[in-house]
Amino acid sequence: MAMTEPGPPAIEVRGLRKSYDGVERVHAIDFTVAKGEIFGLLGTNGAGKTTTIEILEGYRPRDHGEVTVLGADPSHPTRAWRERIGIVLQESELDPLYTVRETVTQFGRYFSEQADVDATLARVGLTAKADERIGRLSGGQKRAVDVALGLIGRPELLFLDEPSTGLDPAARREMWATISDLCDAGTTILLTTHYMDEAQHLADRLVILRAGDVVGSGTTAELSAGDGDTAVVTFLLDQPAGLSTVASSLSATPSIEDGAVRLVSTAPQRDLYQLLQWAEGAGVELRGLEVDRPTLDDIFLRLTSTDDAGDSAAGS
Amino acid sequence: MSDATLLASQVGYGLRGFVRNARAMVFTVVMPVVLLLLFNAIFSGSTTFQGSEVSAANYFTPGIIAYSIMLSGYSGLLISVVTARERGIIKRFRGTPMPAWIYLAALILQSIVTVAVTVAVLVGMGVVFYHLRLDVQSLIGLVVYTLLGTATMCAIGLALTRVATTADSASAIGPFSTVSLAFVSGVFIPVSQLPAWLRDLGRLFPLAHLANGLQSAFIEHHSTGLSAEDVGVLAIWCVVAAVVAVRTFRWEPQGR
Repeated sequence: MAMTEPGPPAIEVRGLRKSYDGVERVHAIDFTVAKGEIFGLLGTNGAGKTTTIEILEGYRPRDHGEVTVLGADPSHPTRAWRERIGIVLQESELDPLYTVRETVTQFGRYFSEQADVDATLARVGLTAKADERIGRLSGGQKRAVDVALGLIGRPELLFLDEPSTGLDPAARREMWATISDLCDAGTTILLTTHYMDEAQHLADRLVILRAGDVVGSGTTAELSAGDGDTAVVTFLLDQPAGLSTVASSLSATPSIEDGAVRLVSTAPQRDLYQLLQWAEGAGVELRGLEVDRPTLDDIFLRLTSTDDAGDSAAGS
Repeated sequence: MSDATLLASQVGYGLRGFVRNARAMVFTVVMPVVLLLLFNAIFSGSTTFQGSEVSAANYFTPGIIAYSIMLSGYSGLLISVVTARERGIIKRFRGTPMPAWIYLAALILQSIVTVAVTVAVLVGMGVVFYHLRLDVQSLIGLVVYTLLGTATMCAIGLALTRVATTADSASAIGPFSTVSLAFVSGVFIPVSQLPAWLRDLGRLFPLAHLANGLQSAFIEHHSTGLSAEDVGVLAIWCVVAAVVAVRTFRWEPQGR
């Protein structure tokens, strides 16, 4: 995890709003990214992550609100400001006809201060592929080239829009290691993702967006604590159908899959009492009964779900 | 790195990609060469140009030069820009400190280089195989028309990137309009053999004037072929298209 530096923040967003075709996609969101941290912008598809990050990157104007990125207003990007930021877009192909080294070298020329090409390739794990044409790389390797292009100008601030989407687990782990190393080297990183585990692994702090609203913010620990007394109750039932007699009196609807029951309870003490009482009365055994703190995935699902009562419907 | 050096390096970078792109090479360099060989093999007789008789070779060679300028300046540029935009490649450039004008100027210079190479090959073939007369005046005409024609075709190609929103539509619009205009602009068929209305229609567009200008330069004795009408129409197209291109150019992928 990063050391945040004192002084003005890298990014400050206050009351940011953005509409497309008359529909507001981002509703007055606020957040601050300190220098030196990895900040996560988490949300499902369509939550407004890319809209927000592209406003900060200087690609599109905002409708309302105050936005400062490295001390400047990104709606009027200058060359000097662009020198200080690195961008990894969510969807941007690379010309397949060039080699990795040619591409990274050429992009380096756009910046007055550039990183060493070989060192940059080593950083993203592409040393062995340096002279390979981009058209012959795997998805994970192409994404690593994207990151190398984001880094070649030695940015103070790096934007990463869903850097690991579509990567296999091994490539994701490598991407995570690269991002952690960057942060250790002092680069501020704004990361969007729809993977909770990615945010949990990388981000010092994060905001969770749902349909253009901030529905949660803080460190991952704060988000967990902010979930109050929520607990996840799991157990196995031989005849899950019988559960329906008690389900209606629980704080949330349990989900049932192959006899495994899962309840994200907002009132664990009362729910457990109900369940145990029912089980004793009906002569049923709750095998493998466990009561756990919710994972960030549970919190994320609960916060981003439009159904406020719980995260999933009962099923069998 | 100064902007001039950056521009030069961007042109070099673009050309390196161009020579590796088989489709672009075939359409802009190989095809005009093959057409020149075919036309001269098929039409061995003579035709009339502005009332006087000329050999087919002398008539078709400058026409195919004009055609190659349209293919690579207009159609080739249109397809490559729209394809790069659709893939998000242009958006990525836009996120770097490189000024936008350097990116666009590099594309245009890249077209000028490929046109210059193609034209040099075609003129060389014309002189060696088809008795194309090259003197000081025709050389002046060739240089002026090639530069003005390339600038005009590039400007039109860039202006049309607003209309051709996908690589598919650009790949249809570019070659289709080029081939269609070639038929009514004295490239594939001498204008003297066209019905008057078709000839007049062709003369609204720049290719007819580029072809006519180059034909005048090479066919008429001791003439640069520079006429007010041909140069004027090309210049008007160039300026109007450049203004439209600058005002309407889009950097980001357009809706499919």
